[in-house]
Amino acid sequence: MSYLEYNVAQVPSGLRKVLHLNWALIVLIAAVVAIGVMQLYSVAGGSWRPWAEPQLKRFGLGLAAMFVVAMIPIWLWRNLSALLFAISIALLLAVEFVGVVGMGAQRWIDLGFMRLQPSELTKITLVMMLAAYYDWLPAEKASRPIWVIIPVALILLPVMLTLMQPDLGTAILLLTGGGAMMFFAGVHWAYFATVIAAGVGLVTAVLQSKGTSWQILKDYQYRRIDTFLDPETDPLGAGYHITQSKIALGSGGWTGRGYMQGTQSRLNFLPEKHTDFIFTTLAEEFGFIGALSLLTLYTLIIVFCVISALRNRDRFSSLVTLGIAVTFFLFFAVNMSMVMGLAPVVGVPLPLVSYGGSAMLVLMVGFGVVQSAHIHRPRTRNG
Amino acid sequence: MTDDRREIGDTHGQTPEAEPFERRTPLRPLARILRARDRGQNPDAIERENIRSRHESMRDTLRARAETRLFVVGMAFFIGFLVVAVRMGAIASTEAEEPRIADNSGASITAARADIVDRSGRVLATNLITNALYAQPHHMIDPVAAAEGLGRIFPDLDVEDLQKRFTGNRKFLWIKRNISPEQQQAVHDLGEPGLLFGPREMRLYPNGRLAAHVLGGAGYGREGVRAAEVVGRAGIEKSFDAYLRDPINEGKPLELSLDLTIQHTVEEVLDGGMRLLNAKGASAILMDIHTGEVISIASLPDYDPNARPGPVQGTDPSLDPTFNRAVQGVYELGSTFKIFPVAQAMELGMVAPETIIDIKGPIRVGGFRIRDYRNYGNELSVSDIIVKSSNIGTARIAMEIGPERQQDFLRRLGFFEPTDFELIESATGRPLLPNPWRTVNTMTISYGHGLSASPLHLAAAYASTLNGGTLIKPTLLRQDGPQNGERLISEEVSAATREMLRDVVVSEKGTASMARMPLYTVGGKTGTADKPNPRGGYYEDKVITNFASVFPALDPKYVLVVTLDEPEDRTGPEPRRTAGWTAVPVAAAIISRVAPLLGLRPDIEPSGAFALPVAAN
Repeated sequence: MSYLEYNVAQVPSGLRKVLHLNWALIVLIAAVVAIGVMQLYSVAGGSWRPWAEPQLKRFGLGLAAMFVVAMIPIWLWRNLSALLFAISIALLLAVEFVGVVGMGAQRWIDLGFMRLQPSELTKITLVMMLAAYYDWLPAEKASRPIWVIIPVALILLPVMLTLMQPDLGTAILLLTGGGAMMFFAGVHWAYFATVIAAGVGLVTAVLQSKGTSWQILKDYQYRRIDTFLDPETDPLGAGYHITQSKIALGSGGWTGRGYMQGTQSRLNFLPEKHTDFIFTTLAEEFGFIGALSLLTLYTLIIVFCVISALRNRDRFSSLVTLGIAVTFFLFFAVNMSMVMGLAPVVGVPLPLVSYGGSAMLVLMVGFGVVQSAHIHRPRTRNG
Repeated sequence: MTDDRREIGDTHGQTPEAEPFERRTPLRPLARILRARDRGQNPDAIERENIRSRHESMRDTLRARAETRLFVVGMAFFIGFLVVAVRMGAIASTEAEEPRIADNSGASITAARADIVDRSGRVLATNLITNALYAQPHHMIDPVAAAEGLGRIFPDLDVEDLQKRFTGNRKFLWIKRNISPEQQQAVHDLGEPGLLFGPREMRLYPNGRLAAHVLGGAGYGREGVRAAEVVGRAGIEKSFDAYLRDPINEGKPLELSLDLTIQHTVEEVLDGGMRLLNAKGASAILMDIHTGEVISIASLPDYDPNARPGPVQGTDPSLDPTFNRAVQGVYELGSTFKIFPVAQAMELGMVAPETIIDIKGPIRVGGFRIRDYRNYGNELSVSDIIVKSSNIGTARIAMEIGPERQQDFLRRLGFFEPTDFELIESATGRPLLPNPWRTVNTMTISYGHGLSASPLHLAAAYASTLNGGTLIKPTLLRQDGPQNGERLISEEVSAATREMLRDVVVSEKGTASMARMPLYTVGGKTGTADKPNPRGGYYEDKVITNFASVFPALDPKYVLVVTLDEPEDRTGPEPRRTAGWTAVPVAAAIISRVAPLLGLRPDIEPSGAFALPVAAN
């Protein structure tokens, strides 16, 4: 019996696939979403409207999408990767022309029933594209310059397009996520070392030149950089979010003020309290314990993804699973650092918790791909 | 057999048939094959064994590398989690506190400009904290509605233009410089997060137009969101800008010599006089002749320094309300000049008040004819030359003094340079001098024609001549004692000059009889000068009239110079324009109002006391 015959025989088919889903992962995701809905209910002052109910509906839609995606064999997804990536790039280009301007940046495309952010979609399709590329490329070629330039171009294309919108958060996520994919695929570490060293060198040169005769940027540009890096110097302007969210975090203390008791967030001190800064309401109402619990749930989601990737001997499957795990990690790591004032405010939602359709749907589709990889993993003959 | 090779990090290929390593089959070492055949072994088995061991070593390398990489990324994840958790704990364990406002944008801009007060500490200029309104369109929820809301609050805003700018690419724009608390609340009630307020220190002149030309006005220099720099635009605000801005002087107001009450009275009376006499403009200077302190200085028309108007387009500066006539305007001051040659001649010992001078006229010199307003006969005493204002008489005296000594005296009185005064505008009040200085100039300047100077020049020169004869520099800052300036003329000459000026008022033949008043004694000299026509020559019917007065007449403390531009008394059968009918009654009205405010005791003169020296003539 050939491998293919064997594999087809072993991989579950039809409704049997449902039994082979990574149910632990689904439970974890549902738990995180539940926390999110609960917080949206609280932020709205104990009301299902305007956020909690639509969020729940979107989760339902997302769950359905995840199941559909999971049922489709992973090799089909691999073969579709390049096409999906091309579509998302085309959509990114489209927002430049037909996008709806939302919150100062042009990010949405109106599909009629929902507004889609192509940049969100790109986060998944880029991971799939890179996984498919390294699956196709013989491993020993991965570090050759010509084969390094191609994925670099594949990453930089959507990064540039999102920077133009401008959506710095997504650009950072795409760049870091894509870099991690290349790292997993076994590109020689010297490339990463060079890029990091060059980046650090450039930043150091720019910052060191301030005030010297060979100053690289203009004074006002330095002032912008300063405010961006340390928004707390401008607590009523650029740093308003940060200061208020830190007040909320601090007032939560270790155990929190209790559910629906958060003042800072419910009294409208915090703009975007239901989207990027929702973590503050959680931290205010449930304190350090509550925030750490959410962090633990996130960690478990990642751990389950990594375990699934390690046990999967299909190169595309394991790469795509790791890539989605990294993207997920970047989402909440950037968001939490941003909320806690560790990083500049760049506009990254808290995954599965923040109110927002595109991000939720795209993440659920991403987990669908992870599930598909899990269901359709190659089985050994004796296990 | 084949599928167990498929590990993470393994080579590509989905189907087991696509064996990548078989393409790289090593050369069969023929010798080994022959040797193996000799031993009866299967060479194919050996080769398979070779391939297998090679595959295993490659697989091990790849797996090792993949595991290292996962470990590295795992560590990065772990550190990320750790940092977030530690930071979370750190924040959770701190007390929540409101942020202190670390002032960055605009920190270098000095706030708290010092107040300006009058001589009694009454506020002339102070600061008010208001707010500036600005917009950050990219933070706006509904820019169109925001623009409409602003249009309702500020009807002067162009709503369509605002909508265009709110929906454009701009990230920041100022909307209003200063808004009232009511307006701020109204904007706040719009609930638009893209509309923001920046604190502003606004310069406020609580007395409105009072002393407008002294205060000048202030505007904004560098502007930041946190603060804006208040910069003096004119007047004392500009000349003392550095002082007022210096943080060291915060809480230490700038004390002026002005008296708010007297300034108000002077302005009120002057304004009334200007209207009654149909004058285009007017100015008045009230000055302490011992300390040089300017108690009041007014120029009309004026303006509100809270909203200082921009420069007026056009050629005639006298139409510009911001033009300070008292300091910047230079005019031929007419017969008020006559006391200078007379005082100088007395100081030189050439004449005494009773010396008789030949006034037969007219004098012909260099194509000009010098005449008197009226024919005063053939001779007059020096005192009567002043009282009746004889041009011929002063011209004769000036010729006796000679142009060098005349110029020297006028230079020492300050008529050759702009006044050294604390208003920034005084530098532009440069006197117009004849060049070359011919004989005819010596004659005409002796009665105030051919040399243009500002009313402030005249006030300072009168003070220097009448205070006992020492030079006085006018000042706007409060002084503690008299200036002990350079001596110009002797006490006796100064006293004799004062008596002549008193005679101008009290004498039946004097030109300033309207300055007689029941309780206060005033001395002074009138001056009426035809206005120069810009197209050459002089107007027949346009004059500048002056009255330079001093009071109390015989022990003077104050000098008051009133100047009217194109006055015309139309109450009589024919228009009267001379100073005696215009500037004098205005000055008299001012003195009768301000003398009590200055704390002067009424002079109850025995009717004969002042007549004695006259009678002694």
